[in-house]
Amino acid sequence: MNEYRITQESLQAFVAALVADGLTVLAEAADGSGYARLAADDRVAIDPSRAPSRLSMKEHFFPKSEALFEYRREDGGFVLVDRLPEVRPTVILGARPCDAASIGILSKVFNWDYRDEFFNRRVDATIVIGMLCAYRDEHCFCTSVGGAPDSIAGSDLFLVPLNDGALGMRVVSDDGERFVTAYAHLFEWGAPGDPLQVDEALTLPSVRFDAEKVRGWIEGHFDDPYWSAASETCLGCARCAFACPVCHCFDIVDEDRTYGSGERMRNWDACQFGMFTKHASGHNPRAARAQRYRQRISHKFAYYPSRFGEVLCTGCGRCTRGCPVGIDIGAIAVEIGGMAS
Amino acid sequence: MTNIYRPELMVIREIIDETPDTRTLRLQFRDPEVAERFRFQSGQFAEYSVFGEGECTFCIASSPTRPEMIECSFKRFGRVTTAMRRLNVGDTIGLRGPYGNYFPLERMKGRDLVFIAGGIGLAPVRCLIWNALDLRERFGAITIIYGARSVDDLVYRRELDEWSAMSGVRTIVTVDPGGEREGWNGEVGFVPAIVEKIAPAADNAIAVVCGPPVMIRYTMPVLTALGFDDESIITTLENRMKCGLGKCGRCNIGDVYVCKDGPVFSYQQLKALPEDY
Amino acid sequence: MTESATNDIRAAARRLLADGTVSVVIGYGDAGPNRTVPIFARTAAQADRLVVSHSALNNLTVYLTRALRPVGGRIAIVAKGCDVRALVMLMSESQIAREDVYVIGVACAGVTTSMGQPMSAETVAAKCRDCIVRTPPLYDELVGVQCEPPATSDVLDRRIAEIEAMSAHERFDYWAAELELCTRCYACRQVCPLCYCTQCIVDRSVPQWIETSASPRANLSWNLTRAFHLAGRCVGCNECERACPAGIPLSLLNRQLAATALREFGYVPGIDPAAPALVGSYDLADREEYIR
Repeated sequence: MNEYRITQESLQAFVAALVADGLTVLAEAADGSGYARLAADDRVAIDPSRAPSRLSMKEHFFPKSEALFEYRREDGGFVLVDRLPEVRPTVILGARPCDAASIGILSKVFNWDYRDEFFNRRVDATIVIGMLCAYRDEHCFCTSVGGAPDSIAGSDLFLVPLNDGALGMRVVSDDGERFVTAYAHLFEWGAPGDPLQVDEALTLPSVRFDAEKVRGWIEGHFDDPYWSAASETCLGCARCAFACPVCHCFDIVDEDRTYGSGERMRNWDACQFGMFTKHASGHNPRAARAQRYRQRISHKFAYYPSRFGEVLCTGCGRCTRGCPVGIDIGAIAVEIGGMAS
Repeated sequence: MTNIYRPELMVIREIIDETPDTRTLRLQFRDPEVAERFRFQSGQFAEYSVFGEGECTFCIASSPTRPEMIECSFKRFGRVTTAMRRLNVGDTIGLRGPYGNYFPLERMKGRDLVFIAGGIGLAPVRCLIWNALDLRERFGAITIIYGARSVDDLVYRRELDEWSAMSGVRTIVTVDPGGEREGWNGEVGFVPAIVEKIAPAADNAIAVVCGPPVMIRYTMPVLTALGFDDESIITTLENRMKCGLGKCGRCNIGDVYVCKDGPVFSYQQLKALPEDY
Repeated sequence: MTESATNDIRAAARRLLADGTVSVVIGYGDAGPNRTVPIFARTAAQADRLVVSHSALNNLTVYLTRALRPVGGRIAIVAKGCDVRALVMLMSESQIAREDVYVIGVACAGVTTSMGQPMSAETVAAKCRDCIVRTPPLYDELVGVQCEPPATSDVLDRRIAEIEAMSAHERFDYWAAELELCTRCYACRQVCPLCYCTQCIVDRSVPQWIETSASPRANLSWNLTRAFHLAGRCVGCNECERACPAGIPLSLLNRQLAATALREFGYVPGIDPAAPALVGSYDLADREEYIR
C-alpha cells in the first residue's frame, strides 16, 4: 500500500502549493457551516473527531443553483448558448467517508441513459482526499447503510491519523496516484508508523438496522398509518433534503436577466415541498405531509436501492442534527426494521 | 460534451384553436439537419420551451408517419401554457426529446384496436390513431370512442369527422350529460358508460385508454368486464414531470420513473404501482 | 425551570386529556440529555413524556396555524412567553380563536441557543436577554418558576449598532454577503408561526414575484421580502435563525424590526390580543405625511 507521512507543516505547505498552482482547495470550515474554500495562508486542521458540518460537500458537484444555458432573443427568434461549467481543478481535503460516498451514489442517477455533464465535469475535475472519521454521535449510522468510518469509497487519497500527531496518506485511485506525484516531494514516503490506536478512531459504530429489512417493510406498507405518526411534527421545510449529501431532486426554471434574454436554471428542490408533485390541473398526489414524508423515506431506503442498487443515504446524520423538530431518520429506520421482524 | 438539458429550436408554422382553451401548434425544426435526424415513436413526449417562462411536458401529438410537422396540443393551465398562447406563427419555441417509452405497435399488429379517450386525453391517442391508419393493413378493425364534457370541449373535430367517414373505422363521439346542444347527433353519456354500451369485442383486441384520472378509473373495470385482460389494456399516464431524463425526481411513482419507464403503461403495470399519482 | 415544573406539566396534561378539556397537548418531549422535540400527547402515557427544560427551544405555536393544527377538538399548548406572544399575534390576526386553545404557560428561566447544550452564560440564547415575557402575557394555567436566566452578552445589540453605523452601501454589502449563503430551504418560513400564508409569495409563478434560484439577487429578494412581511409582527422567538442551515444571523433582522416598531410606533407585537395590528392600522399621529 502506497503511503505518505504528512506533518502539520507539510500539510500547510501542501495547501499553499495547491493554491499557488491555481487549484481550489475545499475543506470543512471551522465554524461547521460546510465545505469552504481555503486560502493559501489559512490554518489547515484535519481533525477526525470534528462533527459533520451543517451542509455537505454536495454543493460542489451539484450546486444549489446553476445555469444550464443562456437564451438570447435575436432576429425575431432565439439563440441558445451552452453554459457547461468550467471547473477549476479542485481538491477536497478531509472529506469524511459519509460525504465521499455520495459521489458514487449520485453518479448513478446522473448518468443512467443520459449523462449529466454538469455533474460529471465537476467530479472529473476534483480530487477527493478522504479522512478517517473519529466522530460518533447518536445520529450517525454509516455502517447500517454500507459505509464505515474508514471507508475509502469515493476517495482518491485517504488520510489516517498517526500516533505521533502526523497524518498518513494512502493512495486509493489512479487519479489520486497521478495527482499526488506532483506534490510527493512535500511528504515523507514509506511505512510511517502505526495508525492511531484510539478506540473511537477504529471502533465501528454498531449497526442499528438491517437496510434490506427496512426496504422490504416499506415495499409492503404503502398505506401504513406509521407514515402519519412518524411525520406528525414535520414542518415541511427542506432542510433535511438540502443538508443531505445524496438528495438530488431539482427544479428547472427560466429567469430573464434582461428583457427577453436570460438563463435556464437548475435549482435544488425537495419532495418535502407541498407543490413538488402538484399537477397543472390542481391535482396533487402527495397533498398531505405524511404522503410526502413517506416518499422521502421510501425513496431513500426502497426505491433508489431497487433502481440503482444503492441506499440513498450515507448515514451522516445531518438531517437529524439539523431538523428544527428533531425528526430522526436513523430512529425511523430502526423502528421500521423492528416492525419488519 | 452534450448538454442534455438544451432544447432544439422550433418555429411555429400554424396555430389551430381546438376549443376555447385548447390549442394545437404545428412546428418545424429551425435546422433542417435536426429535422432530418429527429425520430420518435407514438406515445413519446417532449419538453416544450417558451424561453423566459419555462418548459412544459406534452406528448408529441403528430404521428411519426407524418414527420413534416411536429404537433403538440395543450390546455391553458399555468405560467408556461399561458405564455404559449401568446405566441404567433413564426415565433420560436424549444423542444427537448423525444423522451419516454412508446405504444407497443409490434404487439398491436394483426389485432383489432379500440381507442378510448376523454377530453385532451385524445392528444396522445390521436398520434397513435394516425400512426395506425397510415399503416392500415397491419391492424384489424379500428374503434374510436371519444368524449368530452361538452360539444365545445371536443378536440380534433375535423379529424373526428375524417375518421367517421372512413370505412373500417367505427367512430363514436359522446358528450357528458348536459353537454349536448341543439343539433347534436352524437352520443350523450360519460365515456365509461358509452364504452359499456358499445361493448367493443375483446377477442384479439387491444384497448388504448387516455383521459382524466376519473375517466380511466371507471373505464378499466368496464374493459375488464368485456373480457380485456390486463396486458391488453394500454394507457398513458400524465404526471408532473420536469427534466424528462430520469434525474430530477419529480415524476417518480415508487421505483418507476414515468419519464423513462412510461408514460405508456399496460393496466397490468399500472396496477403494480403504488397509489402515488 | 425545575423538575417540579415538569411534574406540573405532566399532571396538567393528564388531567386535561382525562376530563376531555382537550384532545391533544402539544408540548416538549424528552429526547435525551439537553434535548427536546415537539410531541403531540393524546394519552396519559404520552403525557408522561412531556418536560420543561432549558432545551424547550421550539416555538410550538407554529402547530396552531391552520396548515399544521391537529384536527378534532380543543388543543392545549405548552408555551413560553415568546411562544405566547406568537399565539397572541395569531389571535389578533384571526388565525385561531382564544377558546380553541388551552395555554399551559411556562414561567421561563431562559433557553439555550441550540439543542444538546446545558444552560450557562455561554449557551443561553441571545433573545433571553431583556426578555419582557418571563411570565407569559396570557395563559390558562402557569407552571414553572420565573427567574433570571444567566446573563447573556449584548452581542446582538452591539452587532445591530455596528450595522446601523454602516453607510447604506456597506449595509447592503453586509446583507448581500450573508444572504448569498441562503439555500432557499424555507426552514425559516416553515418554523415561523406568523408565516402562515396559504400561498407564499415566493411560490407564486404568475407573476414570478421572487425568483426561486439561490442566486445573490433572488436570495436578497426572498429574505428581505420575508423580513418586511414580518415587520411589526415578528415577536423575536428567533426560531428562524436556529432553523437556518446556512447560519444566517436572522435574529439581527428580527431585533432591528422590533426595535423600529417600538421606536417609531411605540408598538410591541404579541402582548395585547386586543391591540390593532401595527401594519393594519393607522393613527393620525403617525409621522409619515403621505398617509394623511
